[in-house]
Amino acid sequence: MPLEIDKRPLWLVLAIRSARVLFFVSLAAAFYFALTISVPEGLTEGGRNAIAIFIVCLILWVTNAVPLAITSILAIVLVPLFGVLPSDETYSIFGNEAVFFILGAFILAGAVMHSGLSNRVALAILKRYGHAPKRMILSIFFLSAVLSFFMSEHAVAAMLFPIVFEIAKGLGLRPGKSNFGKVLFLSLAWGCVIGGVATFLGGARVPLAVGMLKEATGETINFLEYTVAVFPIVIVMLCVGTVLLLKLFPIEITDTGKANKLIAEKLQKVGKITYVEYAVGGVLFVTVLAWMTIGEHVGLAVIALAAVVALFVLKLVRWKDIEEYVNWGIILMYGGAITLGTALARSGAAEWVATQTIGRWGTGPAAVIAIFSLMTLLLTEGISNAAVIAILLPIGIGMAGKYAMDPTLITYAIAVPAGLAFSLPMSTPANAIAVSSNYITVKELVKVGVIMSFTSWVVFNLVANYYWPLIGLWGN
Amino acid sequence: MWEDFLIWKSYLDNPGTLKIDLMLRGIRIADPVHSISCADSSIDLVLPDGILANVPCCEPYTEASLYVLKENHDGGYVIGDGTAEVPVQLIEKPDFLSGQTKSGVPFSDIAELHGSYVVISPASGCEFFNEGIECSYCSGGFDTDEASKVFSVDDVLEVVEAVKKAKAAEIVYLSIGFSKGADGGIKFLTPYIQAIKKFFNVIVAVEALPPKRNHWIDHTYAVGADSVLYNLEIYDKELFELICPGRAGLIGRNRYLNALKYAATVFPSGTVASHLIVGLEPPGSTNKGIDCLTDMGVVPILPIYRPRPGKALGIDPLTTEIIIPVYRHLYKTVRDKNINMNWVSDISVLTTPLEGRNLLDDPEGGNIFESFYRSKLGKKTAWGLSSIRRKLRVRGKAFTVKGDD
Repeated sequence: MPLEIDKRPLWLVLAIRSARVLFFVSLAAAFYFALTISVPEGLTEGGRNAIAIFIVCLILWVTNAVPLAITSILAIVLVPLFGVLPSDETYSIFGNEAVFFILGAFILAGAVMHSGLSNRVALAILKRYGHAPKRMILSIFFLSAVLSFFMSEHAVAAMLFPIVFEIAKGLGLRPGKSNFGKVLFLSLAWGCVIGGVATFLGGARVPLAVGMLKEATGETINFLEYTVAVFPIVIVMLCVGTVLLLKLFPIEITDTGKANKLIAEKLQKVGKITYVEYAVGGVLFVTVLAWMTIGEHVGLAVIALAAVVALFVLKLVRWKDIEEYVNWGIILMYGGAITLGTALARSGAAEWVATQTIGRWGTGPAAVIAIFSLMTLLLTEGISNAAVIAILLPIGIGMAGKYAMDPTLITYAIAVPAGLAFSLPMSTPANAIAVSSNYITVKELVKVGVIMSFTSWVVFNLVANYYWPLIGLWGN
Repeated sequence: MWEDFLIWKSYLDNPGTLKIDLMLRGIRIADPVHSISCADSSIDLVLPDGILANVPCCEPYTEASLYVLKENHDGGYVIGDGTAEVPVQLIEKPDFLSGQTKSGVPFSDIAELHGSYVVISPASGCEFFNEGIECSYCSGGFDTDEASKVFSVDDVLEVVEAVKKAKAAEIVYLSIGFSKGADGGIKFLTPYIQAIKKFFNVIVAVEALPPKRNHWIDHTYAVGADSVLYNLEIYDKELFELICPGRAGLIGRNRYLNALKYAATVFPSGTVASHLIVGLEPPGSTNKGIDCLTDMGVVPILPIYRPRPGKALGIDPLTTEIIIPVYRHLYKTVRDKNINMNWVSDISVLTTPLEGRNLLDDPEGGNIFESFYRSKLGKKTAWGLSSIRRKLRVRGKAFTVKGDD
């Protein structure tokens, strides 16, 4: 940050600078107040304390006053400190399978990126299919989506951004003016968002949700089951996305020759496919296959970690290569969120909150799913999708009990929409990256993103109500 | 009436006027006091009401002074003018100044004490001298032989530590002559300021040249300077160009005024100051300078011009009678424009705006805040508040500016 002297009146500067202190003092006071009020009917003392902790964490997650991971650590501190769960139980929940699955997925994705395999695949697909403007748009869109099936959508967006940016520059597209430039970056962002919800691998939010479900109810969702349930949503949204991308911003160019040349040059520079790329690709393929076939029996985390060990045994990566791809903050955040969610569930607080809030509006399972999916879609635009899950899922699981619903339905109703953030740059790094290109403005992103968000909510509810019963997920 | 005139002319009963008259005339020192005190060209005295004065005692003109410093019967000191005497305290040269740094530099080469200030010049050069465009009145030891003398940060820290241990001063005044960079010398002073601020709880004032761009003023504040002085010296445009060709040609009067104006928006009230030397221009011009500077929130500081050996400008020093109204105007203007006067106080080498209060026909008393700020606790409080203000005001890190622009 360049040096700047704040010349506003000192009282104003002081007030602004004190805001943080005042915020935390107020939060501490509110927390103390919540701990001292008499226990409401139907709630235990532990439940009341769990709700107080939940409110503190909710505020911190939403405001981002401290990093998400630190809020989670606070939850892990407060849960045993205020007697919601014993200390040893709290920490054992933190060591949840989902946390290790996420760790394994990070390392696998890191290995794929570090080996250059993902970059090669991206360039090869663009070279093969991107010969005309529309084909190039769709290549980027589907490439982002398909890659996000296998690795974090954030990583895909970060990996493809420089390539797409160079294409835009190579074609001489004017930032903020060129429709083709806008669509290029929109296709990147939307592809990542839509593809990111297709499997457990698109982001850590689904493993987080499944981890919370398992800790709270003992039930789980396996890799294949999830993908089968969600894939129609992905297909429909890809179709809707294709139509909107090609219709909303009329493309002004007719030739992508310069970009194709650029891609060909880049691909040439990458050289021949290496042993490491083959081997990493092989490990990834076997891992995904194992998740789909024996994941439920062996455990997703076990497979992920075994794949990680294999990467190192085969000397395909070094630890220092991988470290930069492992987001320890996210891992801590998820561990803490699972702990807090479990504390809410086991103390009975989640069910109580659900009954007192959404329980009053819900008229049946379909309405509950509609409400939760809508709330999730709205919240995920403003706050971290993991935070949305941490906030809503414990309440949702509590709600399932009230309507005798399978809690896995609620898990889907929150985990899937949590990834469908199309409208704001702060909602997901893919959108932020698209806006950072300066080819598309926030206003334009919001304008078209709202259409996608609303459509995704409708599609999700249609799939939930008409497709899930067909696959036995919703046995009504 | 005649008695009033005599008392007024004697100046002894008003320490404010006495300080001015003493600085103009100097003082003779009677034996045996002479042998113990006038080792340098001047002595520091505490006049009645605690007013500090640095009085010339060795210059030739002092031999004609009507003032004599002598020891009285109880071992104290008095100043007499032939008609009356007033008790004073003699501030002896502190022992620590006879020490030296680990690298062998005498402390007295690095620092001078002026009341509650210790003045440190980490580099003794001034490029104006090298180019022959120095200010005509200046004999400041900035000759070319000395120009290369630069004291290390460690040496300066040792001096400040000694000053703190001897409780000799609360304010460190870092001074630098002209250098060719665009930063006005602040780039050079930065490591000294930062080191002093890191190790000692003292107020640091910086006397430098106005930088070419304002971001260096931001930088000056950000790195820890509590007060800054860009000395215009002469307000009258033509006299400024004539007497200070270097300042006028390489910096320019407008840049002085603009830099001071900007600095007053960055630093706290009363901490941005500029010298206007009384006697180098007509009093009316000095008064205009006072009005202009105070309009910008800058504190004018008025040293008195005395010709130095070999530096005669052909300008006779003004008399006390002519100077007093200028100081009165200074006090009233600074007071009326609500500029904090407490930062510039307790300096022996010049009359501060606050001391101008003693020159009013009906002198005003000091308030409780003034007494507080002059106390050690007050100085510590000022330091603390200044540090808090800096923390609130400064965003980002200093030295993020690149290059020399």
